[in-house]
Amino acid sequence: MTDEAVILTQALTKTYRNAEAVRALNLSVGRNRITAFLGRNGAGKSTTIKMLLGMLRPTSGSGSVLGWEITNAKENCELRRRVAYVAEDKPLYGYMTVEQTIRFVSSFYPDWRKDVEKKLFKDYELPPERKVKTLSKGMRTKLALLLAFARRPNLLILDEPSEGLDPVGIEQLLQTLVAQSAEGVSIFFSSHQIGEVERIADQVCILEKGCLLVDASLDNLRQFYRRIDLVFPSAPPEGEFRIAGVERIQAASNRLSVFASKNAEAVIERAHDLNAVSVEVAPVGLRDIFLETVKER
Amino acid sequence: MLWYKAWLETRSRFLISLATLTLFSAIFVQHAQGLLRPEWKSDFNRLLFVNQQFLVIMWVLSVVLLGMGGIVRERAIGISSLTLALPVSRQRLVGTRVGVGVLEATILGVVPWIAVFFVSFFARKPISIIQVASYVLLLLGGGLVYFALAVLVSSLVSGEYSAPAVAFGIVLLAAMLFDAWLRQFNVWRLVTGDLSINRSTYLLSEHLPWLGILCSISVALSMVVASMIVVQRRQF
Amino acid sequence: MFFKLTPTTGQPLYLQLMQQIRHAVETGALRDGEQLPGIRTLAEELVVSPNTVAKAYSELEHEGLLEMRHGSGAFVCVKRRTRSLADQVQIARRRLRDLIERLREDGLLDEEIRRAFEAELLYPAEIVRKR
Repeated sequence: MTDEAVILTQALTKTYRNAEAVRALNLSVGRNRITAFLGRNGAGKSTTIKMLLGMLRPTSGSGSVLGWEITNAKENCELRRRVAYVAEDKPLYGYMTVEQTIRFVSSFYPDWRKDVEKKLFKDYELPPERKVKTLSKGMRTKLALLLAFARRPNLLILDEPSEGLDPVGIEQLLQTLVAQSAEGVSIFFSSHQIGEVERIADQVCILEKGCLLVDASLDNLRQFYRRIDLVFPSAPPEGEFRIAGVERIQAASNRLSVFASKNAEAVIERAHDLNAVSVEVAPVGLRDIFLETVKER
Repeated sequence: MLWYKAWLETRSRFLISLATLTLFSAIFVQHAQGLLRPEWKSDFNRLLFVNQQFLVIMWVLSVVLLGMGGIVRERAIGISSLTLALPVSRQRLVGTRVGVGVLEATILGVVPWIAVFFVSFFARKPISIIQVASYVLLLLGGGLVYFALAVLVSSLVSGEYSAPAVAFGIVLLAAMLFDAWLRQFNVWRLVTGDLSINRSTYLLSEHLPWLGILCSISVALSMVVASMIVVQRRQF
Repeated sequence: MFFKLTPTTGQPLYLQLMQQIRHAVETGALRDGEQLPGIRTLAEELVVSPNTVAKAYSELEHEGLLEMRHGSGAFVCVKRRTRSLADQVQIARRRLRDLIERLREDGLLDEEIRRAFEAELLYPAEIVRKR
């Protein structure tokens, strides 16, 4: 078997009355990896996830999760048995107690792990007899996460998992995600917390206005994205730097700031050829990569 | 565990309705004897008939409320993602809700009449079990269509309050329309026993309107199937 | 194990981990035959993807610094060649120390020195030869 994708979409599109929420998305999420899904609010992340889980019907295109077709109701039901999903709003039934909720959800999954459930129950300090509607936001988030982590799914899909958690909770969450990944669970999560993503993600997908702009390993992003600041003796020859890999050039008096996704060496060589007075290279953090990528071109 | 969830969701409504209907029927039959006119023949039987009229109103109210809920309402309050992520088909979601509701509706129809049976037994005015069974059969056979209507409306209308409002609106509208133009086919008259009552003895005839009941059940079933189709096709 | 990985520098985390493990071996913090934590354990401790740790261990095994024993884990394996490499690194570091001191005396700030190094390091060997 080749390097399989746990999530694969072909030209997946979702159009609402006059807006395209997701445009011809070709997503490929690898097995046994932690993949982060970044994007601004409204970029189409939740819409994509909902299409994968059968809650929304794509306007066109197709996709598969763990080999099951997402648009086929029966197959989608099968894939949901092997996928654990935590939605952005951490939905829970207010009228059930914590214990009832756990018993209810666990009854659907033969892969439920009682030992992990007990451990997380203790770690999260959840009150078993309290009704969910009386819980604080942090408690609700933790319960929603427990319902996903106390299983052994093939794939974990999380939409903004750290929302509602304090820093200690976030650290616990990241450790749990790492532990799950070490056990062979593929993880696909969307987050606005770039710091978290930078620490644990293997692969990063950036979605903007329904289009996938970046799909690369974090190692590659770190290795190849560079900001090169150049100072020239006179007016900087901006046009000379529009070479492969250069994403954006900012010019001001005799300075150029070049943002490149690869080929930084070529930029430096060109700079030296054009007698640049100063050449400074700096790595680009994920936050800056994200901001630069989603800016209006 | 979907049955358990449907039970938890309808538990309060069901228990309150059960208590109300049962207590009302028992107390009504027990005490309303004082309201009877001496010139009424078959006074006690007529009492039972009147009881059914009240019971039907309360029962229909209860089952319409029991039919509320479901995945469309969950979407309105923002928790449909949890239910929809479960590895169950949408038909099963509707099916279990309908199953629990039908069971509850049946109990709501049977228990009050059993209470009446015992009340009249102890008041030394025993009534035939056949009569009781007939009233129950008319209520359930004819009346489940109202429950099915509620289920269908709750799959189409998503507001917490607009769904029951629409459902009750349709019940009223249907009652008025049928009463005006289609008196023969008015299911309300079937359910209350109006079609089968013998006006001199106030006993239900042995020949119950089986065809009417069959039609009513068929309509109920098609409404349930329609709900399943609506929920299947809906996007969340 | 006291490793610290920084996600914001321009270096992939697995490379950072490799360097830190190598450094630990060079300075003697990790001895020959000593066992490193399992992939899952180290990943949870550092809160990084297990793939990062796995890749670092795998590359170091490729270089000969680590030996992966099936079932037991990763063991340090300091070979003769690596030992002399460690000596070379010691010498190089002394030279760098002198150079950096001189640059500081010239008035350069540490940040400027670092950026200059980055720029020069990115300069591929062929281009240097061309000039």
